[in-house]
Amino acid sequence: MKEPSLKDTSLGMMLVLSSTAIIVGAVLAGFFQLVSAKIEANRLEEERRAIFAVIEGIECDECYEVITKDIEVDGKVKPFRIFRGHDMEGNTVGYSFIAEGPGFSAKIRMMVGLNVVPDTLSGLRVVEQIETPGLGDKITKEKFYSQFKGLSVKPEIEYVKNRKPEKANQIQAVTGATISSRAVVNAINKNIKVVLKALEEEEFKQSQIEEKF
Amino acid sequence: MAKRTITEEFKKGLWAENAVLRLLLGMCPALAVTNSAINGLVMGLASTFVVVCSSTMVSTIRRLVPRQVRIPTYIVIIAGFVTLADLFLKAQFPAISKALGPYVPLIVVNCMIMSRAEFFASKHPLKPSMADALGTGLGFTGVLVVLGSIREILGFGSIFDIVIMTEEAFTPWVIMILPPGAFLSLGLMIGIINHFTELRKKRSGI
Amino acid sequence: MNVVLVFLSAAIVNNLVLSYFLGICPFLGVSRRLDTAVNMGLATTFVMTLAAVITWLINNYILIPFDLPFLQNVTFIITIASLVQLVEMFIRKSSPPLYRSLGIYLPLITTNCAILGLTLFEALREYSLIESLFFGLGGGVGFTLALVLMAGMREELEFADVPKALQGAPMTLLIAGMLALAFMGFAGLLSV
Repeated sequence: MKEPSLKDTSLGMMLVLSSTAIIVGAVLAGFFQLVSAKIEANRLEEERRAIFAVIEGIECDECYEVITKDIEVDGKVKPFRIFRGHDMEGNTVGYSFIAEGPGFSAKIRMMVGLNVVPDTLSGLRVVEQIETPGLGDKITKEKFYSQFKGLSVKPEIEYVKNRKPEKANQIQAVTGATISSRAVVNAINKNIKVVLKALEEEEFKQSQIEEKF
Repeated sequence: MAKRTITEEFKKGLWAENAVLRLLLGMCPALAVTNSAINGLVMGLASTFVVVCSSTMVSTIRRLVPRQVRIPTYIVIIAGFVTLADLFLKAQFPAISKALGPYVPLIVVNCMIMSRAEFFASKHPLKPSMADALGTGLGFTGVLVVLGSIREILGFGSIFDIVIMTEEAFTPWVIMILPPGAFLSLGLMIGIINHFTELRKKRSGI
Repeated sequence: MNVVLVFLSAAIVNNLVLSYFLGICPFLGVSRRLDTAVNMGLATTFVMTLAAVITWLINNYILIPFDLPFLQNVTFIITIASLVQLVEMFIRKSSPPLYRSLGIYLPLITTNCAILGLTLFEALREYSLIESLFFGLGGGVGFTLALVLMAGMREELEFADVPKALQGAPMTLLIAGMLALAFMGFAGLLSV
C-alpha cells in the first residue's frame, strides 16, 4: 500500500462493501428472473408426473383438473388442491392430493392417489424428502409404493413392523426406517379425512349440476 | 517463496496440496454428500465453479478492496456465485439439486474457497489465481468422486447408479452410506495415503 | 411442535456434527484440549442461538413477504458475519475476562458451517420463532457436546500408541466415526 487513498477511509470501506452487495444482489435478481420460469416448470412437471403415476387410467396428457378448496388443516385454513383424473369421455378415474408431514430429517411431501370409490388408495409417490440415504429413502422405492396400491383407508391406515400385514388397511414399515414409514402413514391419515369430506361436497355439487340439465 | 509457473500452480492443488487430503479443508461437503459417486461429482464441480469464479473476481478487484473489509467482501462474492450455482442446478438438474439438499448453499462456508481467496487470489495476479483455483477445485472433485464411489460400491453395490454387485451376491454395508461410514472411510483413506507417502520418502532417502 | 422435542432432537438425536457433518473444521481443529473445546462450544452456542432468531426474523419479515428467497444464502451469511463482529465488540467492552477466554474463537465462528447450516435447515423446516430459538440453542449444545466428547478422547489418546500413518487427522476421523456410530443409537428416539 503506497499512497493513502480513498479506499482506506471508512467512507471507502462502506463504498466498497455496499457496492459489492448491490452488484451481487442485482446479478442474482437478474439470474433468478431468467431461471425462475424453468424452476417453476420443473416443479409442475414433477407434480404432473406424480399425478399420472398415482392415478390409473388417465387417457390423455390434459385429462386431469385441479379442484381448489379452502380446507382447515392444523387449525389453519389453506387452499387445498385435489386433482381429478378422467378418461377421454370425462368419466372420473381417480383422485389425488398432496400430503405433507414431518419425517426423520425434514418435511416429506407426497402425492397420494385415491380410487373413484375413495375407500382405497390407488398409489403413492414421494415428491420431496431428505431422509437418511440408504435407510429412510427406501420410502421412495417401488417396493414400498406397491404396498399402497389398493390399501384400505377405513378406518385408518396402520403399519406393522417385521411381519407381513394381515389386514386390508395395513402396510409393512421399511426395516430400519420405521420413522420415515410412519411419517408417510401419519401424513396420509391426517389429510385423507378432509379430502374425503371435500370430495363428498364436490360430488353433491356435481350431482346438482347434472340434475339441472 | 520461490516463483512457480502457472502449470505448477495448477498441479499443486491436485495432489501435493490437495484441499481435503493434505490441508484438511472443505471436510463438511467431503463427508456429507459423498454417499454416491454422482453426488460427489456434482458437488465437486459446483465447488470448482465457485472457487474459480470467486478467485478470478477477488484477484481482479484485489487492489480496490480495503484490508479491513476484505473478508466480508469476499464472503458476499462467494455467496453470490454459490447462489448462481444453486439456481442453475435447480433449473437444469432438479433431481440432483434435491439430493444435495441444503449442502449446495453451504459451499459458501467451505473453508477451501475462502482460503484460496484469502491466501492466494488476494495476493496474486489473475492467471496464477485462476490456475490455482482450478487445480484446487479439480483436486477436491477427485477426492469427492473417489470417496463417493467407495461408499456407493460398499453401501449400495453400485457405482454411478450402475449395479455391479447384486444384493444376492453381496449384502450392502448400509453403514457406509450413513454418517459413521463417511468418517471411517475418509479417515482410512487419509491414513493409507500417509502410509505410502511415508514409504516413498523412506525409499528415496535410502 | 413441542419445543423440548426440537431442542433434544437438535442436541442429541440429529446432532449437527455427527449426523449432518456441519462444523467439521472446528471439530477437528479445536478439539485437542478439553478447556478450549468447552470455550469454543459456548461461544458457538451463543452466536448460534442469536443467529437462529435473527435470521428467522429476516426470513419471515423481509425475504418471504418481498418474494426474495433466493437471497437467503447471501443475507444469512452476512447476518452471521456481522453478528460475530458485534458480539466480539460487545464482549470486549463489557466483560474483558470473558473476552480473554472466548475472543480468539469468535473470528473462527464466521466460517463455521454449522451456523449457516442450522439457519438454512431452520428455514427449510419452517419452524416458528420459539422453535427456532430452541433449535439454535439445541444445535449449539449438540455442537459443544460433540466437541467436548472428542476433546476428552483426544486427551486420552496422547498416551496411546497410534500408528504413524494414522496420527493426527486420520485418527480423529476414525474416532469421530465411532462417536457417530454411538450417536446412531439415539436415532429413532425422536423425529424432527
